[in-house]
Amino acid sequence: MARLVKSVVEMEGRISERWALVEDDEAAEPWPDPLDGDFAAVGRPAPRLDGAKRVTGQARYTVDIQLPGMLHVEVLRSPFAHARVKSLDVEQAKTVPGVRAVLTPDSPAGAEGGSCAGLLFAEPDYAGCPIAAVAADTPEAARAGVIALSADIEQLPHILDYEEALSRELFEMDPRETLRGDFESAYAAADARVELTFETPTEIHSALEPHSCVARWDGDELTVWASTKAMFGTRAGLARAFGMPQDQVRVLVEFVGGSFGAKAAAGKEALFAAELARQTGRPVRVANDRHAELNDTGNRPPTRQTMRLAGNKDGKLVAVEAESLIGRGSPGFGASPAFVLYRVENVYGLDASLKLNVRPANAFRAPGTMERITVLEQAIDDLALELGFDPLEFRRRNHVDFDQASGEPYSSKALLDCYERVAELAGWAERDRLLRPHPDGLLRGMGCATQIWGGGGGPPSHATIRLGGDGIATVVTGIQDVGTGTLTAAQVVAAEELGLPVAQVRVTGGDTQPNIYAPLAAGSMTVPSVMPAVRSAAAVVRRKLLQLAGDVFEVSPDDLSIREGQIRSKDRSLDRPYSEVTEKLGNATIDGSGSRGPNPTGKRVNTFGCQIAQVAIDTAVGEVRVEHVWAVHDVGRVVNPLGASSQVEGGIIQAIGFALSEDRVFDPTTGAPTNAWLDDYKVPTIADTPEITVDFAHKPDYELSNVGSKGLGEPPIIPTAAAIVNAFRHATGRRVTGMPMTRKRVLEALA
Amino acid sequence: MEVSLLVNGESYRLDLPPERRLADVLRDDLGLTGTKVACGEGACGACAVLVDERPVNACLLLAAAVEGHDVVTIEGISRDGLTALQEAFIAQDALQCGFCTSGQVVAATALLAANPSPTSEEVRVAMAGNICRCGCYVKIERAILSVAEGVTV
Repeated sequence: MARLVKSVVEMEGRISERWALVEDDEAAEPWPDPLDGDFAAVGRPAPRLDGAKRVTGQARYTVDIQLPGMLHVEVLRSPFAHARVKSLDVEQAKTVPGVRAVLTPDSPAGAEGGSCAGLLFAEPDYAGCPIAAVAADTPEAARAGVIALSADIEQLPHILDYEEALSRELFEMDPRETLRGDFESAYAAADARVELTFETPTEIHSALEPHSCVARWDGDELTVWASTKAMFGTRAGLARAFGMPQDQVRVLVEFVGGSFGAKAAAGKEALFAAELARQTGRPVRVANDRHAELNDTGNRPPTRQTMRLAGNKDGKLVAVEAESLIGRGSPGFGASPAFVLYRVENVYGLDASLKLNVRPANAFRAPGTMERITVLEQAIDDLALELGFDPLEFRRRNHVDFDQASGEPYSSKALLDCYERVAELAGWAERDRLLRPHPDGLLRGMGCATQIWGGGGGPPSHATIRLGGDGIATVVTGIQDVGTGTLTAAQVVAAEELGLPVAQVRVTGGDTQPNIYAPLAAGSMTVPSVMPAVRSAAAVVRRKLLQLAGDVFEVSPDDLSIREGQIRSKDRSLDRPYSEVTEKLGNATIDGSGSRGPNPTGKRVNTFGCQIAQVAIDTAVGEVRVEHVWAVHDVGRVVNPLGASSQVEGGIIQAIGFALSEDRVFDPTTGAPTNAWLDDYKVPTIADTPEITVDFAHKPDYELSNVGSKGLGEPPIIPTAAAIVNAFRHATGRRVTGMPMTRKRVLEALA
Repeated sequence: MEVSLLVNGESYRLDLPPERRLADVLRDDLGLTGTKVACGEGACGACAVLVDERPVNACLLLAAAVEGHDVVTIEGISRDGLTALQEAFIAQDALQCGFCTSGQVVAATALLAANPSPTSEEVRVAMAGNICRCGCYVKIERAILSVAEGVTV
């Protein structure tokens, strides 16, 4: 029976209560603990189901879509951080052979009365901001069309500096304060105090498949291939823009070449492509080149943060103050993780997003949390050392088992297990041995950091399963697998609950047409939201399959069970392959559907974890190398340990880029980035990769769902950078002033 | 201009603008979209193909420049089914989004052809020109080493 219930859902720090449809769950019984249970699929390594397509080049991404008569689009972008477009010669551009349509800021677009304002700008306020778009038969003709616009662009004064924006009170939104207890009194009365100011870099997603979209109209129906993490959001956005029902828009995202937080909703690419396709009657492709990708697809915003912490001789934290200046846009910068990670009664927070002339930020893997944990965890280390405590022991002493912002207990929290395990793996107790001289002349040290993140997911989320006469079970989901392996996780969960071999289970996603909803691939939500629905649907199909088996084998279905495709009676007198049942189906199918239940009431769902990093420092040239990272996270039940370890390794490697090499560098004259190409914007390579050791707490969250899995996409990126810089301090006794830890910053710290 | 190409053992005669890049010819004219273009400036290795068994970035090469040379793309490598290296990439989970994977497989295939028993360090040097933003490097290294000669996994 279907019910509408109110459920609290968290996404990237934003809490909302909303109505959600839930249905009776056939899989109400929780699976046992990983160590107690006898699982055929869950918890065993599963190679990704579409691996063969991806290693042979057969996987078709949006940029690979070629349609007959397809037009190509070139976008004119501002070369200055602030400018005014004085003129565009649209008529001249239209005379270029092959040019079919031109969009400018005041071009009509979308539904009646709509325009390109908000997509194209006559007064661009960051470099790379789009001004006009030209569609043509070939990419070359589109580029010629942009040149023929003969844009007359006047440079205006720009601001790239926090202090200047602050002194002129140029805020992107009103500064936000957080208060709990009495920070100043507690800080003044404490036994020890530390203060730290630290800058974090602009980090750009740099997914290797660029933002891209292909749009085609068939009458009043729109089909869109999009490189997006949010196909239902893209569908809704296009339907809204063109004033049409959602069922006339179909969004396809079979393969996505990375997201990391970007590629959300119907972006400029989708809206340009759909509008230009409508105007020309031809299919249209919009795809960024790498320069546009690095300039205008969003980024993690740069910050300058100051934190003051105070604690007492008994090893207790008593006060935390955290102030952040954020370089334009503040996705995820809601309630600070600095006020809930450890037990503390007195906090003060101030977050101010400044309206600099830089590309506004968007979500990047653990937005707002990774940046602030990077600074908090340095201050925690400093305070521990000031008070004479081992940094890991200090963190244990300030452990808290409820959410201090809401007063509610956590649905599960195995952070203490993570501390114990990661310390054991890394040999934390002997870390001071690294301080002895090394034959290679490098300094070495080891540091740790803790992580908190949401990742509980929630309703609505649905799945349907059909088991056919060929013995193949097809799971239909609304998953957009941006590379995280969520389709494979669904295959594992379905196989376990169905009692079928993994190879007999197919999983589809990436298409809005079946209208089977799943949330966007964000907030570490896919596994905790979709897997319970898959399990629930699989339970329905299994029950029906065993009923039919009862008919075929003339026994009571209550006496039957199925595992890895073998149907057995309790006394094992019957032991037959399930194909003896399904082969009798003919063209009929056994169908089941399931949906995600509500989130627990009065409980907060969070992921936790701790990482330890070992670094080596060449003091002659100021080079820092990460040698080993040990990571242990509490993400509830791990469905597929192979894919899960890949997620952790990937998060750690992206964080190494944030810590050591990635940043946007500006030309002060134009205000434009000088390193908007992949040879200058330095993402980590295989040569920068440390040894990585991954483990999990393996404690299912039974309060959360029938699967007990929390999300894993974001947690691993959160603590790495802090662990690296804490290792640097362990090795050198010094602090750098910011990240990336360039040679200049390192040599200044060592001077 | 008229250009004769040998790609994956097939001969093609094409009429191309002289400035047309090999990557665009492969993807747009021959429909071989397994070769990806991610940076377009030779910085990421996603467009790697074999030219006379050596890995090159097809985004930096004019199509006309490979006339008379033997070009093999990821489709050519995969023509007789999965190679042991590709099997290892799947088994070790040496891929996530997969967009860089064609280039990784091409570069690793060339490495193993030239040096069937590379050390870990040699793998890291040979593969440093292939960016994987998902960060699959630990498993890429493991996959390559697992099929190196004399290694049983």
